[in-house]
This record gives sequence, C-alpha cells and structure tokens, in this order.
Amino acid sequence: MTSHWKALLRAASFTVCLLGLSALAAAAPPYVITNDDASFPFTGVSFLSVGPGGGLIFRQQVATVGTGIGGGYFGANRILVVNGAQACVFASEAGSGDVVGIDINTLTVGGSATGSDTDTGSANGIGLAGNDQYVYAGFTDSNTIGTFKVLSGCGLMFVNGTAVAGLEGGAVNGMAVHGSMLIATYTDGTIESFNISGGTPSPNGDKQISSGTVRARGATYPNSIDITSDGHFAIFGDTATSLVVEVSDISSGKLAKTTVYSSAASISSSNVMLSPDESLLYVVNTQGASVSVLFFDKAKGRLSAGCTSAPIRGHSTDWSYLVGMALGSTTGDGDGVYVAEFPSGIARIKLKVKGKTCALREAVQSPFKTKNAAGLLSIGAFPPRAF
Amino acid sequence: MGSLSRWCFAIVVLGCSFGEVLAQCPDRPVSGSVVADPLALSSQDGVLSAQFVMQHSVDSNGYTHYCYNYNTGTQIVEAPTLRVSPGDELNLDIVNRIQNDDAMKMKMAMPMPTTGAVEPSCGDGGAMTVDATNMHYHGMNVPPKCHQDDVINTLIQPGTPGFKYKIPIPATQPPGLYWYHAHVHGFTEFQVNGGAAGALIVEGMEKVHPEVAGLAERVFIIRQQFQIPWIPGPYQLTLNYQVSQAIGGAKPVIQMKPGEKQFWRVANATLQDFMPLQVIVNGQPQPLQLVALDGYPLTQIRTQDTILLPPAGRAEFIVQAPPAGAEAFFFTQDYSTGPTGNPDLHQSLAAIQVSDTANAARMPKVSAQAAAVRLKYADLASQKPTAERLLFFSEEFGGTNGPIQFYITVDGQKQKVFEANEKPVITTKVGAIEDWTIENRALETHAFHMHQIHFQVLEVDGQPVTNQDLRDTIEIPFWEGSGPFHSVKVRLDFRDPTTAGVFPFHCHILLHEDLGMMHKMLVEP
Repeated sequence: MTSHWKALLRAASFTVCLLGLSALAAAAPPYVITNDDASFPFTGVSFLSVGPGGGLIFRQQVATVGTGIGGGYFGANRILVVNGAQACVFASEAGSGDVVGIDINTLTVGGSATGSDTDTGSANGIGLAGNDQYVYAGFTDSNTIGTFKVLSGCGLMFVNGTAVAGLEGGAVNGMAVHGSMLIATYTDGTIESFNISGGTPSPNGDKQISSGTVRARGATYPNSIDITSDGHFAIFGDTATSLVVEVSDISSGKLAKTTVYSSAASISSSNVMLSPDESLLYVVNTQGASVSVLFFDKAKGRLSAGCTSAPIRGHSTDWSYLVGMALGSTTGDGDGVYVAEFPSGIARIKLKVKGKTCALREAVQSPFKTKNAAGLLSIGAFPPRAF
Repeated sequence: MGSLSRWCFAIVVLGCSFGEVLAQCPDRPVSGSVVADPLALSSQDGVLSAQFVMQHSVDSNGYTHYCYNYNTGTQIVEAPTLRVSPGDELNLDIVNRIQNDDAMKMKMAMPMPTTGAVEPSCGDGGAMTVDATNMHYHGMNVPPKCHQDDVINTLIQPGTPGFKYKIPIPATQPPGLYWYHAHVHGFTEFQVNGGAAGALIVEGMEKVHPEVAGLAERVFIIRQQFQIPWIPGPYQLTLNYQVSQAIGGAKPVIQMKPGEKQFWRVANATLQDFMPLQVIVNGQPQPLQLVALDGYPLTQIRTQDTILLPPAGRAEFIVQAPPAGAEAFFFTQDYSTGPTGNPDLHQSLAAIQVSDTANAARMPKVSAQAAAVRLKYADLASQKPTAERLLFFSEEFGGTNGPIQFYITVDGQKQKVFEANEKPVITTKVGAIEDWTIENRALETHAFHMHQIHFQVLEVDGQPVTNQDLRDTIEIPFWEGSGPFHSVKVRLDFRDPTTAGVFPFHCHILLHEDLGMMHKMLVEP
C-alpha cells in the first residue's frame, strides 16, 4: 500500500471519528457481525439480528474505507468484538492494510488506521486480537504484529509494529489475548506468547514448536487460539488431516508444552472456541464439513470426546470451507454456534447436551446467505462472551 | 482442488515483459480438422531406436508447449507413438534443448539430494527444475534402473549431450496401450501440461483378443492444457494436440467408414481430468466393447456405454461407426471430484463423421497357428498375499490460498510429503505378493498410480468386484464428510525379479504428485 493511500485513509478515518463522537449513544441489540472482506465498493462490516425463528435478519452493512481480499488463513480472526468501556467491533481489511473500528451503538465507523508502510497481509489476511485498550493485528505477509491503541468512539491509532516469525520461518496466524498475555500461532507449527502489559508485545521467551506439530512432523499445526477465563489454559485448534486440538498450561505466564487431543471424527480443526461456561470446546472442522464439540475439564485442561454434526448442508455447492464462528448465546453452553461458510454463508448449528453426551444439528433455517460478503471467514457476536 | 498457494520452495519470477519467445515446437493441428493418429515408430528386427529432442515454446494464445521432437528427415513431428513387441529393445535418446527464456518463466529449483540419498544419481544430476527432464514409461513392467524406468534419480539437463534409455521390453509384457511422459519431481505437471507425453504400444492385442484383428486402429491421446497449470481455472482439452473447444467452436473430427468397426486406443494424458468417456450417437451413448484397460487385456471383452478413465488411465475398445447422417460425438461426461476438487466438466472431445475416404492403419490379422497367449499376472487372483497394508490419501488446508499439504501415508507412519532424499516407506522382497487397501480420507478424489507393475483390483469400498481388472492407475472417490472412507483393495505382484529396486507410487493428479503426494518403495532382490 502506498503512503499516499495511507494518508488518505488517515484523513478519512479522522473525519468519521469526529462524526462518530458526535453521534448519540444507544443501547445496542444483539448482533451477529461479519467482516465482509470484500473489494471496493462493497467492503464493510455487516450486522445481522436473530429473528424469532432463529434465522438471521440482515440489518445493515457499515461501509468502511478500505478493502478486503476475500480469503486467507483460516485461524486469523479478522473481526474482534469488545464490550468494555465502549462497544466496538474491529475488522481488518487486508487489501488496503488497515484496521477499522465501528461503534456498535451507533453503527458508525469510529476510525481506521494502518500499520507501518511495510505491514501487509494482502495475500493471507490480517488477524486480530485485543481488548478495549489495544488491538493487535497480525500482518501475515510481513510477519509483523501491529499494536493499535483504541480511541474513544472506537477509533484506532497505530502505535508500532513488532517483527515476529516462527522457529521455521512460519507466518503469524491466529492470535488471542487474555490479561497481559498475547498468544500467537505461526504456520510452521510454532506457538509463542508475549507480554502486553506495556501495550506493545514483548516476547515471553517461550517460543516452541507445538507437540502436535512435532508428533506429526509438520503435518499438523496450531491455527486458532482460545484462552480460559482464568488464564490457566490456552487451547489451539490445529489444521490437520483429522481433528487435532492442543492445550497448553499458561498459568506460569509462559506457554508450557502442549498436550494433544486427536480424533478421527472429522477433518481439521482450524477454529476453536470455548463455551461461556467453559464446559465445552466448539471445533469447526474446517475441511470436514462439520462442527464438533469436545468436553472440556476446565480444572485440568483436559479434553474428551463429545459429538460431531452431520455434514453441513451445501458443502461444495454453496461453500467450500467452514471457518470462523460465533456463539449462539453468551451464557451456559453457548447454545451452539453460527459458523462462517466461505465465501458467503452462515450456518446455524444447534447443540443439545445431556450429561456427557451431546448432539449437534444444523438448524432448519440454516444457512443464511449474506448480502455482502465476498470471502467470509470471520464472524463475531455482540455482546461477546464475557472472557 | 480449489484455490491454493503453490510450492514450498523458492520461486523467483524473472521479469514480466512479454517478449518474443523462440518457437521450438512444431505447429499443432488446427481446430476443426480431421484427427490424424500420431506418427508411429515401429521396431525393426527387434529394436526400436529413436532420438527425441525435448524443446519448448509458448504459442500465440499463451499456452506453453513442451514437445518431444522427432526428426523424420523431412519434418519435425511431436511425440510419435512408439510401437514395440515383447522381447524387443527400445533405445531412446532424449536430448534436452529446452530454451525456456520466455519472460514469464519461473525459475524454481528442488536440488537433487547430495547427502542422505539412498540411490545414486543418474544422468546429468543437478537440480530438479522446470527445465530439466526425464521420461517415465507409464505402466511398463521394466526395471526401475538408471537408463530404464527410473524417475527418482534421473535428470537430463538442458544443453548436455543427452541421455540414452536402453530398455529391454519384457517378453512377458502384456500387449496394450502404455504411455510415456516427463516425470521430474516438482515439475511433472508443467511439462505434461505442455504436451510432453505420447503413446507406447506393445503389439499383440489381436493375439489375446482376436476380435480386434484386422480392425482399423486409432490412437487418441487426450491432453489438457492450462495457461497457468497450478491455478485452477479454465482449461482446454486436446485430442492428438488438436484443441476441442468446450463450448461452441470447432471440434476435432474423427472419421470412420460407413458401417466399420474401429479399435480405439485412448490415453487420458491429462493433468487431473477424470473422464467418463462415451460415444454418443443422436443423443444416446453407444455400447463400447472394452478390450483392455491400462495396457492389460481384459479376461473377457465386455460391453459398456461409459468407460471411466482417471488421469493416466488408458482404455482400448471397439467402436461401431454411426449411421450416415447421424450426429455423433466422442464425449466426456461430468465427473465430481468432491468439495475441494476441481470440477471435471462434460464436453465433446470430437465430432464423429462417417466418410468413405476415412483412412486408418489396420490391426494385424491373426494366423490360424497363433499360440494362445498366457498373460503375466494371470494367476494373481489365486495367490495368497504375503503382506497386507493400509495406505491413505489425505489433505490439509490452512487457508483459502494455502498452505496446502497433500499426503499419501502408510497407516501407522507419519504423514509427510515426498522428499527426494527420503528413505522408502515400504520395503518388500522379490517374490512378495501384497494386498494394499488404499483409502481416500480427503474431500477430493485421488488417482492411485503404481510404477513398474500392474495391480489387480480386488475390492471397492470393502466389497469384492466382479471384474478383477489389472490396472496401474485407479480412482478413489472423495470422502463425503461422514461415513466410511472410500477405498480400493488391490493385489501387487513382486514375483518378477525385474521389480527389484526403488520406485514411487503416487497420486496421478500431477499437481498433487509434484507437491509431494508420493513416496518410494523398495523391492529387495
């Protein structure tokens, strides 16, 4: 991206930031939110509400300034929903190389910011993680993590960039933040944590190749990440030829060697998310056309077999990959998930749990076809899960 | 497969101007013309000697050609058919004169192993690049040795004096249609995409199946060309190098005499197209008398209206000429390769035209004294296997644009992509007979190919098959996302001492092979 284009973006974002500040705040209803990852002029973030029958209803696309790329790494979450001092959704736009913030109360753009001139994710996307203070952007092509300060009104200000790399040269991929820890995965199977107490990521010195990657000699690698509410365990969803999830004890402030859970129930597990009560781990079988649930022992960090859905409808005819997800509820077991169907659909997967058994099935209303998404990989929900 | 990012190794795009590229390959036939068989080179007194000069061009439509040029003395022709008999000797000199200096050339290199190699190099050595070449005699039961059918260690580099293949055709080689093609790991797709493939016929089919004796014989090589072979997108199919327009446009023309039967020998030399072949007359698929598959005569000729050929498969069958005035086509139907596979779309490959002037070579007639032919592998079904193995195909996608890994794995071993200096993943001995079950755990159909030998198909999806055909390449359909994986069970015969050595097995979707869906096996003497 040229400096000229970045200057234009900065000016535009300053303007919309002022407009955003002047808007009246309102209580936001629940939304499912999509990073449409489209090219100009269709770029933006779409807000959908849940209808009485459980189907999704398109409400509004908030147009953004930048452009998407319609694809990229599965584990790099391109949307971040925060509900702290202010309710914001941040979305990355890898075509133009920026991160945009949207005030969820007003559905207006609060601002956007680009990283340094060399930060880019134009081939494989920009993953996001953060909190209501900072947003971290993993630029997958330049292999940098950009730190952005969250401004009032959901604007953003670029602070600086941190060069990163996997032990075998892998590119930064998934990221997650809990407290003062940021954890990143790389495409070569490396995992690493950073201390973000000062804002900018500082390596914790625990960079390692995951156990799953070592065991499979590179044929498996951690992709997306979730972290327990108490910050005790980090959970990695692996890209693999079967379902593979790894768990690391992070209670020491560093990543411990991961333990591996694997199952032949389906293919790949690039995206994972804990249920609000942390009794379950939702797993999107990225290539297996299904969603799985594993039971999670929060005290011990152990996973055990749960259930796997039947193949989600429309595979190969309407969509090719299942990718990011959003919870159906912010409480209990999460009431199943919404799952992004690349390139333009959202499936609704319902869950029933009875003791140590469970069942997942696709809702009758599913899937919902998005109006604007060109390469839908990442979705979020507002309000987000509490941790 | 869907979108992907390619190559785990260095890619450097040199320049981006569209300069004039030296045309080294002959012009290919004009679309809409009568399809001629390739020039045939037949053995004389038990020997077939020829020199092929491998060259390279980019045509006016942007398609890259890699051509095996043969000089007849009056003209240069591309990829002649090699015709040999069992017991002959094939002496083929390959000279690499690729001058790949076009502006869009990508310079890629996979160095030959200098350490850790388990076999010595053969030929010129050096790096495996898009400019290096070699030759695989697909389906032939000849040794995996240097100067014979080794593809792992043989490299012929541009500008060197050349390389001599000296191949004794086994006396037991089943008669039928085989084919030859370039097979440099990492770059096979590029050269075959450019047309570096031709037919190899082992004579004698009429002795096994006298029904073909005296029939007009046709040799058809179906090739596939992409402008950029590793990016899924529009492609063209060609019949004997003549483009068959998928929608509208001119079609190649196959001529047949009124009322005649022809013996068609068809090779699927495409990169990745699974082809349900038909001859359609007035909208109806016609009965085809299937004589042989993959160069191996069927036990009995059988009639079917669709013949599925995976990439690299061959079929030999008898076709009845359509009635005068009928609308007739040689056709490939749609074939689903699964959610992550490329769609293989239906299209007419050629129009079939009845003409009194149709002209074709004829199969030999059979003398009344001809001895019955006992085919190699004829007793295989009655043998007891000495070992059983389970192998599986699998894929791993990390993003819409990659990274992607393609694996073929022996159950119990680690999934890994092929490396030139790897040790064989399977070791057996001469004399062994093994049953392998090959599963497909991917959402894309794969084509299992075994070098050096035919294998006998015993079961599909765990059920015994009615026709235990001998094949060298077979399709294994994609997994639907639930239920058991699709599988085939095949019997492999290593009793012939000529199987001793190291050779590969792989998926014959050439992109998959190039990206590592391949491994070595060792047959100890």
